[in-house]
Amino acid sequence: MNIDKARQRYIPMSETMLYILLSLREERHGYGIMQYVKELTNGRIVLGAGTVYQSLGKLEADGLIRAVREEDRKKYYVITPPGAQILSEEAARIHEIYRHLEGII
Amino acid sequence: MSNTKLCWWTPFKYAVPADYENWFEQQALEGWHPVKVGQWSSFAMRFKKGEPKRYRYVVDMQPAPRKDYMRIYEEFGWEFVGQMASAYVWRREYEGERPESFSDMPSRRSRNKRFFWAVAASFIMLALGALVSAGAAIFAPVLPEKRLELVLSAALCALAAAALGVVMARIRKNLDR
Repeated sequence: MNIDKARQRYIPMSETMLYILLSLREERHGYGIMQYVKELTNGRIVLGAGTVYQSLGKLEADGLIRAVREEDRKKYYVITPPGAQILSEEAARIHEIYRHLEGII
Repeated sequence: MSNTKLCWWTPFKYAVPADYENWFEQQALEGWHPVKVGQWSSFAMRFKKGEPKRYRYVVDMQPAPRKDYMRIYEEFGWEFVGQMASAYVWRREYEGERPESFSDMPSRRSRNKRFFWAVAASFIMLALGALVSAGAAIFAPVLPEKRLELVLSAALCALAAAALGVVMARIRKNLDR
């Protein structure tokens, strides 16, 4: 998928997609992603098996992540350069929102 | 009292995936657990009476699951109950917070849409069957008995298609659940 199309599809992206992409800056498998996100958000986001499986399939098909290895029937994924590009653009967008909202809380 | 029972046409009766899951959960709370879920369970599912358990059931439609599908569910603590065609049934015992497999709205919607399209595929086949039989009954130069057969087959197909149409409408109305 070219980067423009990926932008259209993923920016803005859901919290689930954002945290999955973020977690895949390091190589991880399904369950590992859930644990990482749960810890990072202090238990606020607990991803379900179906959601993780489905999201990985979508992100892989669109070239934002790729499978790196398989071990014990577990598949490990990592973010690709286009995935990292999308993630950083999304981060910039959220950062802008953050600046606009400062002082409201 | 018998300690087994048969339940008929369950996936069609509880068309909406979330309703089907809740129905399974209710059965388990009353101590009814499916003996084996397989190809024929969509017509008749056998349950056996046992200990009441608090199970969270999940149904998932996966026509072409990737290699890591089963593994991901198992790792998250789900027990594979069985499979009817492409519909996978999972469960997990819980206390306190009810576990979710589809933890956000977009993924819940796409799970429900997969069920919708699976039913839609059968609906289209049956509707075509009804049309072809009806067309043949009207236009084909056949004997009267043969014509009656064609009319009956058209009526049966139309009836089944109508039932699936109702199922489709119910799933569509509940895509968010």
